[in-house]
Amino acid sequence: MSARLFPTQEIGSLAKPRWQIQGQHSTPLDERARAEFGRWNDLLHFADAGDPAVHAIVGGNGAAVDPAEFRRLGALFGLRYFETAGLDRVYDGEARRIEMYEYPIRQMHGFDFQGHVRSFDNKYYLKAAVTGEVRLDHPYHVDEFDFVREHARASPKLPITGPYTLAEWSYNEHYLGKQTGWKGREARRRAQREFVVDIARKAIRPTLAKLIEHGCRIIQIDEPAAGTHPEEAALVAEGFNAATEGLDAVFSMHICFSDYRSLLPALLEAKACKQWAWEFANRDGPERDGYEILRLFREYGDDREIGLGVLDVHRDEIETPEVVADRIRRAAHHLGDPSKIWVNPDCGLRTRSLDVAWKKLASLVEGAKRARAEFAGRAA
Amino acid sequence: MAIVTALTGPFPRSEALVAATRDLDRGRTTTAAVDALVERAEAEISGHESRLGLGIHSGGYLAWADLFRPFSESWRGFTVGPVTRWFETNTFYRQPILHAPPERVEGAIARHLPPSARADPPRAKVTLPGPFTFSGLLENRSGETREALTHRMGRLLGEEVRSLLASGFTTFQFQEPLLVVERPTGPLAEAAVEAYRSIQTAAPSAATLVWTFFADAAPTFDLLGRLPVGGVGIDLSETDPERIPESLSGRGVGLGVIDPRTTLREDPEVVARIARDLSKRLHPSTLWLGAGAPLDLLPYEPAVRKIELLGQVRERLALSGTAA
Repeated sequence: MSARLFPTQEIGSLAKPRWQIQGQHSTPLDERARAEFGRWNDLLHFADAGDPAVHAIVGGNGAAVDPAEFRRLGALFGLRYFETAGLDRVYDGEARRIEMYEYPIRQMHGFDFQGHVRSFDNKYYLKAAVTGEVRLDHPYHVDEFDFVREHARASPKLPITGPYTLAEWSYNEHYLGKQTGWKGREARRRAQREFVVDIARKAIRPTLAKLIEHGCRIIQIDEPAAGTHPEEAALVAEGFNAATEGLDAVFSMHICFSDYRSLLPALLEAKACKQWAWEFANRDGPERDGYEILRLFREYGDDREIGLGVLDVHRDEIETPEVVADRIRRAAHHLGDPSKIWVNPDCGLRTRSLDVAWKKLASLVEGAKRARAEFAGRAA
Repeated sequence: MAIVTALTGPFPRSEALVAATRDLDRGRTTTAAVDALVERAEAEISGHESRLGLGIHSGGYLAWADLFRPFSESWRGFTVGPVTRWFETNTFYRQPILHAPPERVEGAIARHLPPSARADPPRAKVTLPGPFTFSGLLENRSGETREALTHRMGRLLGEEVRSLLASGFTTFQFQEPLLVVERPTGPLAEAAVEAYRSIQTAAPSAATLVWTFFADAAPTFDLLGRLPVGGVGIDLSETDPERIPESLSGRGVGLGVIDPRTTLREDPEVVARIARDLSKRLHPSTLWLGAGAPLDLLPYEPAVRKIELLGQVRERLALSGTAA
């Protein structure tokens, strides 16, 4: 539990600024990129004038420094962006990552990338096939965490993609290929279990252990694929447990765009999970019906924290602080305990422009503040 | 018995088209440039279909954001709703929200069909949402019951098919995953039958095919056998072919022989054997061979590799004398 009501947190990725994209591709930085840098730096004060990357940006020469310098500056930008917005738990906007699937898979052996698959509309992800035994090349996210730990002013929280999602978002050639006979649903399930547990034990767990060794205390395991096959909710929990059991950190599980009802109660077997950080705003309507599902936690007697999604990350429309506060009120009502609620966007904000995401976060922070004042008044 | 090999639903976008549509979202290219690329990509898919000897062309449906979007954006009564998971996959659709009884807009869907299909309607297979799946997956704020809405969707889709028939299209595939996922019974099942009866009444000369996927069809075979359509398609990744019942004898049967959930390629010998055994047992009027579920669950290149199976199986069936 947090010391004050309705603390706020980020949930994942931010859109990369134009100057970072152009800089890390070693291309000339155009006027828009330079103006964007100047505008945000005036607001966030994230860049040091003596920084070589800053010199390259101001000079418009992306090739002047190593691309890694732009990623480092991008990470600092992400940190200050969330901190200045007023969030209590922050990360770096995943500035150094390609995205949440491809990056970790590239740190492992046994995979072969196949091409892009559409997620929805014009959103895609690169998908790999597992063609051999999973093996970790080296623990990942460690350098980026070291940087965040060194520079964060607010409490850092590291997001990492979970074993079930990495398996589910891959084509299963190796483990399914070992199954004999007709490769129907049952064969796929057996192969999936073997794959999930292998990734959890052989890749995620050693990475988590290394991160913890480097001082990482709060870790969000991202499982957006958890709702794909509801009958595998127990496997999501099994993978979570295999990755985290016995490790000394505070773990949360992020899930989005899923039928939560179908995951419970099997998912509750994820023993080390201290917080469920889920998307709700996307499914919410004027009647505030997107939060009713929270009643289930009371019904199952699960009293873990809730990371409450209050911003729809797929629409530019800015939620007002009053809508955010009302969503918090409604969630507190359904849960029966306001002290369990953390407030966050539904998911990573990378699909929104930095300007839109900024306005949304401002509403989130202000809405949480209003709800906090209201509940504090009730307690008094 | 005729054997028809054809693609099922939308085809994956090529890597070039993926890049172009991303650029469009980021303001780096124009809608006109992407539309031109879509048209070329659909022509390329038609090229694959011709090369493999597929008698009926799909065109790929590359411009469709999801199965329902052309309807929710052009028919009256709808708005486009939240991002919603598409069954047990990691793809999503925007759920149509129906605020009032829906009304079709003449010509709106035809304009969304792939240009290659519009250029040669008799050889094209038009893929449409099935009335049961459509009415079941939208958010219904219209005030109508689910049963009444299912029936209404059947009438509207029947009008759509009649209109497309007048434009020269002859073959229509209705995507009905929800029929086997939800397994309706009682009045809801009857509403599904009535919906297809409306389509049959509106367009009796249309060749109609109901394609099921994403769940085992066996528990729903009785209902599928009652649908007044030309054929029923079964996803063999979910349904054991030996369980396809005698009640489907004598009519069209579709076998979803390509599994788009895996990049592993199917063995043409095994698939040909399944097709032969089924043909001997059920004597279907037409045997459709295609993908079990929409191929856009795969990236482009693996999909191109996997559809080679259709030509290989047809060749084997022809050699063994299975085809008429």
